[in-house]
Amino acid sequence: MTAAELFLQQFINGLTIGSVYALIALGYTMVYGVIQLINFAHGEVFMVGAYLGLMVLLLLPPSPGGVLTALLAAGTGCALLGMLIERVAYRPLRRAPKLSVLITAIGVSFFLQNAMMLLWGAQDRYVPACFSPGRLGGGAVSITPMQAVIFAVSLFLMIALQLLIHRTPLGRAMRATAQDPLAARLVGIRVEGVVSSTFAIGSALAGVGGVLFGLHYSTINFHDGYLVGLKAFTAAVLGGIGNIPGAMAGGLLLGLLEGLGAGYLSTQWKNVFAFAVLVLVLLFRPRGLLGERVAERA
Amino acid sequence: MAPLQAAHLGQYVDDCRTEIWYTLNMADNLPHLAIAGAARICAALLFLAGCGQAEPAIRIGFAGPFTGDQAAQGLDMLEGARLAVEEAVSRGGVLPGFRIELVPMDDQRNPAQAVSVAKRLAADPNVMVVVGHLNSSCTKPASAIYYEARLLHVNPVSSNPEISRQGFDTFFRVCATDDLQGPAGVRFALEELKAKRLFILDDMTTYGRGLANEFEKAARAQGLEILGHEGIAQGEKDFSPLLTKVKSLGPDLIYFAGMFPEGALLIKQKSELEIPAHFLGGDGLFEPTLITLATPRAAEGIYLTTLGADIRQVPSAQSFVRAFEAKHGHLGAYSSYAYEATRLALEAVRRAGRKDRAAVLAAMREIQEYDGILGVHTFDEKGDTTLRTIGIYTVRKGKFQFVQAAE
Amino acid sequence: MEVLATAALYALLALGLNVIVGFAGLLHLGYAAFFAIGAYAYALLNLRAGCPFWLGLPLAGICASATAVLLGLPAIRVRGDYLAIVTLGFGEIVRIVVTNLEPWTGGPNGLLGIDHPQIGSLRFGVDSKLYYWLLLFLVGLCAWAARRLQRSRIGLAWAAIREDELAARSLGIDATHLKLTALAVGGAMAGAAGCVFAAKQGTVTPDSFDFILSVMILAMVILGGLGSISGALLGAATLSVLPELLRDFSTYRMLLFGALMILLMRVRPQGLLGSRPSRHVPAGS
Repeated sequence: MTAAELFLQQFINGLTIGSVYALIALGYTMVYGVIQLINFAHGEVFMVGAYLGLMVLLLLPPSPGGVLTALLAAGTGCALLGMLIERVAYRPLRRAPKLSVLITAIGVSFFLQNAMMLLWGAQDRYVPACFSPGRLGGGAVSITPMQAVIFAVSLFLMIALQLLIHRTPLGRAMRATAQDPLAARLVGIRVEGVVSSTFAIGSALAGVGGVLFGLHYSTINFHDGYLVGLKAFTAAVLGGIGNIPGAMAGGLLLGLLEGLGAGYLSTQWKNVFAFAVLVLVLLFRPRGLLGERVAERA
Repeated sequence: MAPLQAAHLGQYVDDCRTEIWYTLNMADNLPHLAIAGAARICAALLFLAGCGQAEPAIRIGFAGPFTGDQAAQGLDMLEGARLAVEEAVSRGGVLPGFRIELVPMDDQRNPAQAVSVAKRLAADPNVMVVVGHLNSSCTKPASAIYYEARLLHVNPVSSNPEISRQGFDTFFRVCATDDLQGPAGVRFALEELKAKRLFILDDMTTYGRGLANEFEKAARAQGLEILGHEGIAQGEKDFSPLLTKVKSLGPDLIYFAGMFPEGALLIKQKSELEIPAHFLGGDGLFEPTLITLATPRAAEGIYLTTLGADIRQVPSAQSFVRAFEAKHGHLGAYSSYAYEATRLALEAVRRAGRKDRAAVLAAMREIQEYDGILGVHTFDEKGDTTLRTIGIYTVRKGKFQFVQAAE
Repeated sequence: MEVLATAALYALLALGLNVIVGFAGLLHLGYAAFFAIGAYAYALLNLRAGCPFWLGLPLAGICASATAVLLGLPAIRVRGDYLAIVTLGFGEIVRIVVTNLEPWTGGPNGLLGIDHPQIGSLRFGVDSKLYYWLLLFLVGLCAWAARRLQRSRIGLAWAAIREDELAARSLGIDATHLKLTALAVGGAMAGAAGCVFAAKQGTVTPDSFDFILSVMILAMVILGGLGSISGALLGAATLSVLPELLRDFSTYRMLLFGALMILLMRVRPQGLLGSRPSRHVPAGS
C-alpha cells in the first residue's frame, strides 16, 4: 500500500461517517434556520430511527428490499416523531425565554433514551447484515457495498433536499420563514405548518442516518444518539448553522478530519481534533465556514 | 418487625424490584410495562408476607455491570452467584438463625458508579462480604472502600495484577492474573501462530492497558517486533481509520486487550478491510455475544486467552455446568468464577460462625486448599489464588473452541 | 444522606453557573470542565504533593477560576448561541484531554486513593453526613457572596451587559473585563465543588464530568429561574431529588423525569422562581 493509496483509503473512511454526520446535521441546521432553536433532542431522533430500522430488518428477510423498507419506515416514523416533539415540547414555549426550550429538549432526550432502553434493553443490539461482505473494486483502495449504499443514499437525499428547498412552494415558504417569520406570515404563509414540516424533514433525514449507521457498524445502543448527535451538531456549526449546503460540507469535513486525524495522528485524540477545529473555526469565522456575515439583529 | 429491618424496608423492596428487572432483562424479555408493574407489586407483597417470620439477614453484596454494554457478562455472573446461594440455602443454610440474601448492585462498568455502589454496600451493616466487580477499573477503586470498611471482598474475574499489590488484606480473588495471561498470549503467538510483527491495541482501562502492557513487555523480551501500541475509547464505534493504518504497516498479528463490544467491532472492521493478520485477544472477549456482534464469518479463526482451562473439561466443575445449563440454557463465560467466588464467600461466613465482618475476614484468611469447582485454591499473601492456568480458545463455525491450556 | 449531599453539591454548582449565565448572561455549556479541573487539581495536589484538603479547597478554586478566565479570553469574543457552542467545545476538550493524559490523570480509570478531609481528629471518611454539612456551609457562603455581588456595582453592570451589551458599552462599562470576572467567580465555585467531590469520592474519573452534567446544571439554573439565587438552589434541589422520589417507579423513573421536565417548563416557562419575562440571553442573530 503506497502513501497515496493509504491516504485515499483514509479519505473514504472519513467520508463514510461524514455522510452520516451530514444527514443529521441537516436537521439541526434547518430547524435553526427557521426558528433559531438548537434542537438538542435531535440526536435521540437519530437513535430512534436506528431502532425503527432494526425493527423492520428483524421482521423482513435481510435483503436490499428490506433495507429500503427499513429506510422508508425509519424516515416516516422519525418525521412523525419530529413533528410530535415540536408540538409537545417546543411550540408551547415559542414565546417563552429562549433557554426554557433547552430544558424541554433535555426532557425529550431523557424520555426517548429511556423509552428505547425499556423497549430494547440496555445492551448493544445486533443489526443483521444485509449486504454481502467483501469489497468493491480490486487493488489497494476499495469500498464495502455498505459504504457504497451510504454514499448513494446520502447523495440522493441531499440532492432531493436541495430541490425541495429551491424548487417547491414548501421550500420557498421555508426560506421565507427563515428570512423573516413576521413578513412570511404577512404574505400568507402558515408559519406553524412550515416549522412542523421543517421538523419532519430534518427528523426523517436523521432517521435514515440512524438506519445507515446501524447497518454500517452492525450494533446499536440507546446511548448512541448522544455522541453522534453532538458530532453532527458540531458539523452543522462548522458549516455555518442555518446554512443547508454548509451542514452537508460540515458533516463531510468533520468526518474527514476525524478519519485522517485518527489514521495519521492518534485514535485517542480524534475527538479533540473535532472539537478543537470547531472552536478555532468559531473564533476566526464566528458564523461557520459557509455562514454569511450578518449583523446582530436587535 | 425489628426497627433495624424497618429502616431497611424501602431498600429491600427496592432491591427486589431491581432483581426482578434484571431477571426480566436476563431472559431478554421486553420488560413490558404491565409485567414489570405486576412483578413489582408481587415483590412487595412477597416481602410483606415474608416479614412476619423473617429471620435476621446476612447479606452478600454482588456488584457488576447489569446494565450497559457489558450487561450480558454481568448478568451471567449474577446467575452464577445466585446459584451458589440457592444451593447453600437448599442444603440447610449457611449460619443457623440467619437467612442469606444476595444483594445485586449495578456498577454499570463505570469506576465512579462502582465507588458509590461500594459505599452503599459498606454502609449496610447486614452486608458481611462483597463478591464482585467484573472490570478491573471498577474493582480497583471499590477495593479501597471495602478495605476501609474492613469488609471481605472476593473477586471473581478482575485480572489486573496491580489490584492485589495495593496491600489490602480484605481482597481475595479466584482467577489468574494478567502478568500470566499476557506472556501466555505471547508464547502462543510466537510458537503456534509464528507471529513476528505485532500491533497492539487496548481500551485504556485498568484491565486493557494493564494486560496490553504485560503482553508488550513479554513480546519485547522474546524479541518480537512491535509496530505500534494504541488505545481506543470504550463506546467508540468507528475503528476503520485506525485499522487502515494498521493494515498499511503489515503486521502478522493484531493483539487487542479489552472487552467484547469494542472487540467485536474491531474484528468485524478488520475483516471488512481484509487485513491478512491473525487476531489475538484477552479474556474480555470471551463472551458468545462477541461472535454475534462481529458476525461468525469475521470471527472465524480469531484466538483469545482466558483465565483458566476449559470449564467443560474440569471434572470438578461438571455438576455446576449441568445445574447452570439446566436452569439457564447457556453457560456464561464468567458464571463459574462468580459461582466459585460466592461459594468461597459463603464458606467464610460459615466458618466465622457469627454475623461479624472481622470474624468473616479472619475466617477467609484461614481457608487453605479449598476444593472448588475450578480446582484447589490456596491464597497467597496478596490474596491471589495459586490456580494459574491460562486457556487458549479459537472460534470455529461461530462457536468458541478450546485449543490448549498453558500454565 | 448520600442524596442530600449530592443535592448540596449540585446546589453549589448551580450557584456558580448562575453567576455566569444568570447574572452576566453568558450561555455556558462547558461548566462541567471547571468542576473537573477542581477535582483533578485537588486529586493531583493531594497525591503528588500530599496537600491537605483545607489547602486544596482554595487552590482547586483558584485553578478552576484561572482556567475559566483563560478559556474565556478567546471565547467571549463570540456571542449568544455561538458562545454556547464554543464553551461546549472547550468542555469536551477538557474532558478528552483529561482522559488521554494518562501519566498524569490515570486515563479513563481516573485517580484513586485521594485523602478525605480531616478537622483535628475528626476524619470525614466515607460517610456522606459530614460532607453534607461541609457542602451546606459552602452553599451558604457562596449564596451570600453571590447576593452581595448581585447588589454591588459589578452585579448591576452585569445586568446591564446581559440586557443590552451595546448600550452598556456605550455607558463606559468594560464588558470584557466584567464577563471575565463572572467566569472567574463561577469557575471558582465549580472548582471548590470539584475539590469536595474528589475528597468525598476518594476517586475521580473523567466520565463524571461529561456534557450531560453541564447540561443538567444549566437545566437547574433555568428551571429555578435565571438570575435568581434561591431559584438556582430550588432548581438544584428539584432536579437532584426528583429522580430519587421517582424511585418508586424504578425502571421508568428517568422516563418520567424527562416527561416532568417538559411539563414543568410548559407550566412555568420562566422558571420556578423567575419573574421577569425579559429575554435574558441575547439572541444569536
